[in-house]
Amino acid sequence: MSELLQIGSPNERPRPPKADELNLKFSDQAVKELEGLKTHYPTLKACILPALWIAQREYGGFLSGEAIAEVAHRLKRSYAEVEGVATFYTMYNSVHKPGKHKIEVCTCLSCHFNGAFRIRDYVTAKLGIRHGETTEDGMFMLEEVECLNACDRAPLLQVGDKYHGPVDEAYIDNLLEDLRNREESTVVQMADQIVQCHLETSERVGKVLD
Amino acid sequence: MAEYKLLLKHSDKPEFRTFSGYVANGGYEGLKKAVEMERQGVIDEVKASGLRGRGGAGFPSWIKWNGLPKEKKAPHYVLCNADEGEPGTFKDKMLMETCPFQLIEGMTIAGYAVQAEKGFIYIRGEFIDAAKSLRRAIDEAYANGYLGKNVLGKGFDFDLYLHLGAGSYECGEESALMSSLMGERGMPRLKFPHAPLPTVSGVWEKPTLINNVETYSCAPHIVARGGEWYASLGASTKNSRGTKIFSVSGHVNNPGNFEIEFGTPLKELLAMAGGVKGGALKACIPGGSSMPIITAEEVDRAIIGYEEMQEVKSMVGSGGCMFFNEHTDIVMLAWRTALFYANESCGKCTPCREGTKWMLQILERIIEGKGKPGDIDLLKDVAGQIEGRSFCALGDAAAWPVQGMIRQFRHEFEYYIEHGKSMVTSERAMALRP
Repeated sequence: MSELLQIGSPNERPRPPKADELNLKFSDQAVKELEGLKTHYPTLKACILPALWIAQREYGGFLSGEAIAEVAHRLKRSYAEVEGVATFYTMYNSVHKPGKHKIEVCTCLSCHFNGAFRIRDYVTAKLGIRHGETTEDGMFMLEEVECLNACDRAPLLQVGDKYHGPVDEAYIDNLLEDLRNREESTVVQMADQIVQCHLETSERVGKVLD
Repeated sequence: MAEYKLLLKHSDKPEFRTFSGYVANGGYEGLKKAVEMERQGVIDEVKASGLRGRGGAGFPSWIKWNGLPKEKKAPHYVLCNADEGEPGTFKDKMLMETCPFQLIEGMTIAGYAVQAEKGFIYIRGEFIDAAKSLRRAIDEAYANGYLGKNVLGKGFDFDLYLHLGAGSYECGEESALMSSLMGERGMPRLKFPHAPLPTVSGVWEKPTLINNVETYSCAPHIVARGGEWYASLGASTKNSRGTKIFSVSGHVNNPGNFEIEFGTPLKELLAMAGGVKGGALKACIPGGSSMPIITAEEVDRAIIGYEEMQEVKSMVGSGGCMFFNEHTDIVMLAWRTALFYANESCGKCTPCREGTKWMLQILERIIEGKGKPGDIDLLKDVAGQIEGRSFCALGDAAAWPVQGMIRQFRHEFEYYIEHGKSMVTSERAMALRP
């Protein structure tokens, strides 16, 4: 059976830091990027989503209580409001700290009927992790996801900023080996690329990669 | 009828993604012509073209374009809905990756026509390749004076921003997309007639034009070659004009995007995709997962068109066309569809939030072999209570496929409940079970 609806529980929310414990960690680059973003929208509130992407990069892929508090502080919004946004969207890692690479297996219609559950079970057996779990070495996190909209490549999976499909067992063997030694397609790099895509040429500190 | 490539004509050329390659292949002719016209003239061309929204609903586009105030009192916005999430659809992804300038030109034309000086493209977060392609194209368009201050020296300003989502199907619903763009949870807002139309009060409560990627991508062609010319495509249908891109996937030999003229028989689309693989054709979901399923016999006689598809009680939708072979367990298909909507329901309104979970639970017990007599009627009852009662169309989209599958394949549900197992027992079918 699919485990899609079973991730996190209210008890597992990170605690917000107390006001006097606020420890701002955004790098100079992040601060500059956020300043650029603010010029795109008529309100500061509209910066919450992109700012959370910046935070996801700056805090190593995980929107901890500190990360959410920093975004709230920098955008003059309440902690609760920013946390509400962060927990609504599935691509923000606000429940668990993810592994270095997040493996997202699509099990929606076209993928399902082209063998996606076999692929998911293979990854589970190979890495010993289920939906929402991370390997002990912190290398991989597995997630079952809804349609990634590349159904012509079913069965499909996404790792960071790259789509892989159609995949079979041999492909996954090679991919996992390859990812262990790779610094690309990480959770952090994906967040960075999303931030770079938001920014105009003059505001960009990083690069839009190929 | 064969493929008719209008939007995807140059999609296989890597240079089409660059400014010089785009211009060399006839790009920006539409915008150059548009800025010499009256603003209303541009809208009249869109009206003459008969263009209907390509995101799924098929609403006449010109009514939106014409709906923004002619006397500008506040900023106007142009939004592009690029939050493609409908299972089975991948046309917008391809349009953005391979033809980014076409979309940018279309939005710039729209910006000129409705007097907007800012545009936003809301792309789903997973589409990094599409976002990168658009980012490079927008940077080049600025550098060449096709975006920014005083576009083409005609005294009109247009800034275009990319905004990436973060994983939510619901944000493809236009009012939820606006909520998300404003920095909120992606939940729908009150709609007409309970609230003003987006063209009067949309994002940031300002007049807003919102269209799908494919709709904007049509605009350069409509303006460059004339609305009447565009309307000559698909003239054999009742009221569907132009071309439509269909994303064909599932059990076909050659899945991919195929652009066809309206009026093409559905079976020809299947032939373009190389026919069914792995067995005989059993069923087809013609327009993305929300649309009712049709049988193989109906695939044979269906004609692609907004009104024409209603004859087989389905819809064109977003063009995500999935074909399924004889090894497909329809009850399993219903379960996976129900899971999708239960998972993606935003939680705002009760019929959808609760109803989708109920449908999922009932289907889950059926596929576990624990179905009860009366479960089919219970499913129909729950679906009927979601349909038309939810805050936005996601509720309808969750109800229709389940209702459609029961209507077309009721015997499979009955067999499953009676025997505690599927009537599709081939080895191939068993290998697909979760």
